[in-house]
Amino acid sequence: MRRYFLNIWEAISTIAKGMGVTLVHFTPARKSITIQYPDRTPVPVVETLPERSRGMLTFDPDVCDACSMCAMTCPIDCISIDRERVEGAKGFVLKRFDIDMAKCMYCGLCTEACPVKPKGLEHTREFEGATDRMEDLILEFIDEKKHRELVEKALKKAEKLKAAQNEE
Amino acid sequence: MRYFADWIIENLEFTRAIPSEYVYLIIMVVGGLLLLLFVVPMAGALTFVERRVAGKMQSRIGPNRVGPQGIFQFVADGVKLILKEDIIPTAADRRLFKLAPYIVFVGSFLTFAALPFSQKLIAADLNIGILYIFAVSSMVVVGIIMSGWASNNNLSLLGGMRSAAQIISYEVPQILSVLAVILLTGTLGMQGTIKAQGWAPQHWFLFHNPFAFIAFFVFFISAVAECNRIPFDIPEAESELVSGYNTEYSGFRFGLFFLAEFANVYVISAVAVTLFLGGWNTPFYLPTGIWGLLPSAVNLAGLITFLIKTFVLVFVCMWLRWTLPRLRVDQLMTVGWKYMVPIAFFNLVGTAVWMLVWGDKSIAALLGG
Amino acid sequence: MPEFRTEEMVLNMGPQHPSTHGVMRFVVHTDGEVMRVAKPDVGYLHRSIEKIAEKLKYPQFMPFTDRIDYLAAMNCNMGYAMTVEKLAGIEVPPRAEYIRVIASELNRIASHLISVGVMGLELGAVTPFLHAIRERETINDLMEELCGARLTYNYIRIGGVAQDLPAGFAEKTIEFLDHFVPAVDEYNRLLSYNKIFVKRMADVAVISAENAVDYGLVGPNLRASGVKWDLRRDEPYSVYPQFEFDIPVGTGEKGQVGDCYDRYMLRIREMVESSRIIKQCLAAVPDGPVQTKLPASLKVPEGEAYVRTESVRGELGYYVISDGSDKPYRLRIRTGSFSAMSIVELTSRGLMIADLVALIGSLDVVAPEIDR
Repeated sequence: MRRYFLNIWEAISTIAKGMGVTLVHFTPARKSITIQYPDRTPVPVVETLPERSRGMLTFDPDVCDACSMCAMTCPIDCISIDRERVEGAKGFVLKRFDIDMAKCMYCGLCTEACPVKPKGLEHTREFEGATDRMEDLILEFIDEKKHRELVEKALKKAEKLKAAQNEE
Repeated sequence: MRYFADWIIENLEFTRAIPSEYVYLIIMVVGGLLLLLFVVPMAGALTFVERRVAGKMQSRIGPNRVGPQGIFQFVADGVKLILKEDIIPTAADRRLFKLAPYIVFVGSFLTFAALPFSQKLIAADLNIGILYIFAVSSMVVVGIIMSGWASNNNLSLLGGMRSAAQIISYEVPQILSVLAVILLTGTLGMQGTIKAQGWAPQHWFLFHNPFAFIAFFVFFISAVAECNRIPFDIPEAESELVSGYNTEYSGFRFGLFFLAEFANVYVISAVAVTLFLGGWNTPFYLPTGIWGLLPSAVNLAGLITFLIKTFVLVFVCMWLRWTLPRLRVDQLMTVGWKYMVPIAFFNLVGTAVWMLVWGDKSIAALLGG
Repeated sequence: MPEFRTEEMVLNMGPQHPSTHGVMRFVVHTDGEVMRVAKPDVGYLHRSIEKIAEKLKYPQFMPFTDRIDYLAAMNCNMGYAMTVEKLAGIEVPPRAEYIRVIASELNRIASHLISVGVMGLELGAVTPFLHAIRERETINDLMEELCGARLTYNYIRIGGVAQDLPAGFAEKTIEFLDHFVPAVDEYNRLLSYNKIFVKRMADVAVISAENAVDYGLVGPNLRASGVKWDLRRDEPYSVYPQFEFDIPVGTGEKGQVGDCYDRYMLRIREMVESSRIIKQCLAAVPDGPVQTKLPASLKVPEGEAYVRTESVRGELGYYVISDGSDKPYRLRIRTGSFSAMSIVELTSRGLMIADLVALIGSLDVVAPEIDR
């Protein structure tokens, strides 16, 4: 019998407390935390993300030395590299550098593996990388023109090195 | 309604050419259409308000893109539902499947005929008003069982059965608790009950005597159970039955179920305001006849007061929905039969004893003078 | 009198269902509202992670461990790293050990927030779930500052962690924890002590201590049945012995020991204990490097190792057999959710369908962890 009235009292008091918590949310003490992306934000969302965010990948062909470490480290083999030796220059020159972002899982292992400083392969904070077609997701960083530029740069570097050695 | 018909016959001369019965008939049809025009947008707007209120309680914004502050969201939802493909499962019972939403909506809508809005603004001031409302709103059960059975889906059937058990069980305490008020007024009519109360809170039936106070809560809880709202929404429990008796419905049929639910919420709030919270009583009178548009007996202040009180109770309904988890079926039955019904009986006896001792004087009347 | 013929109904809960935690199927034999038995049917999320491991080098496999249990990704990372370190004899610098503990415990809080919120959501209380998610957003932001991702962290490396703590991380974490512990009180007032919630969860699906041990339950499910077993205390690893924290055990406060309410309350208490651990850890982090230098191609000597850690859902065990090369010969992962599925059939006898939902929610299974 006592249990009966205790049940009623417990029900009323706990439900009232719960409803009190919900009511507090109508006061300014609890503001809504929604970010109204993409158009009603004070700054673009991309700029509010931390520096280390692992967004889309970006590649700088000018610092890359075509060591292929990134392609070997990627667990999913989404980086395809073609490289060739140029007559008269040391090392490799990139002929093709493709990253298939459709396969990429944004794990960051490739960026850690890049040995040059500053890094050739880096994550940006950009997250809006969706495209309309699957083919557009394959980022190709080296085309004919760039390849020729890189070959010329490598040859020039080799000449400078030879000139410095001849001087000694 | 008869008051309006008389006023029109009096002021618009061309109507006198037709016999007055036909004028009444036309006024009735127009009145019904006006009510439909009130109910459907209001139920739609209530869906929008519910989503904004839910968002506020959950530290987020609700829909706010469609139209200024998002108020046209329900229009967008309605248009979307109408444009959707109407899917009827192959093995479903076609006639019952199509009929069920209409029965549910009609059961909800018919109650609006007896709901008061202001002194003269009531479609039909029946002298059995409350009885009519409760009787007609039970039609919803038939519709729900029909939809559960006709969907040819095990889970929908379960939902329909649960709902039938729930609604039938909670009818008993609902009506028993209302009896406490009916004893005080001696009339079943809606306008009569409101006239027996005053505009000040101490003159409402809520504070009339302690038994009426308890009766309000019993009535409100039972009425929330009648509407299939959380904490009693087992029939459409989303996480268990994937929407119960609603599951196989798409497009506008689904929209009808939704509209019926929100119309029901409005109805129970309006009935609670009528019976317990003083209805449209106001300290002053704002006639609308001054603009010559409506007969001067329509009290605009009363209309606004009634609507405000009703929407406050609708808000409480929503507040309950977004705070509480739902009860299990057997717990629901326990609450209905073992708690609500005895309390309602106790109320009835208590009110009878009160009337024996003090007549129908309220506590305020006893203390004040 | 006509003879009534009743037969039991066979329902299918899943694989697509709003309240199984992922893609699982339960074949429910029910007689009206009361169930005869509910048999789980798993395997819909099998992704052959263990087979993939045989084709990848040891460091390359780390992102895959995130996806075993994505809600407790740090713990999964850590278990794998510890197994390979044990097999290859790699030392981890002390600063990295402390950072690993901080990350794992933060992840524990985040995962328990989801678990606790979802338990309310399945019973119909939508608002507490969103409040839990609101708290979890801060943890996600902290993790994004730490390692760059919000869910699949890939932060712990074999031999340490990937990057050092960023500037201001300790202050932000302490600020969050100071805000979080009172928020748990508010959450309790909203949901945990609510009479309806208690009636739904207390005395429902009681798992006794003997059954829990016999069926191989681990983690919070085991502790809620009264068995005080926590790998952080009983087989200590990493730097856990240096911290002072309690192991909450189910006490049957609103019903019997081992009911759904115990499993729920235990997770709330574990969140509070985790915040204690994080505060002590942040105060005691030593300076130093965060990763041991490894050879470019890590070759692990022949042998096998089994290391188990206390992940969010219980004992997470990694068993690695190496044949001396740079890829594992066999990698086997033993997860807590898989063991939890074994008790569903026994406990579901005589429950109502609504209670089955409460049971699965309180066991806190994550389907990817069952199927891998």
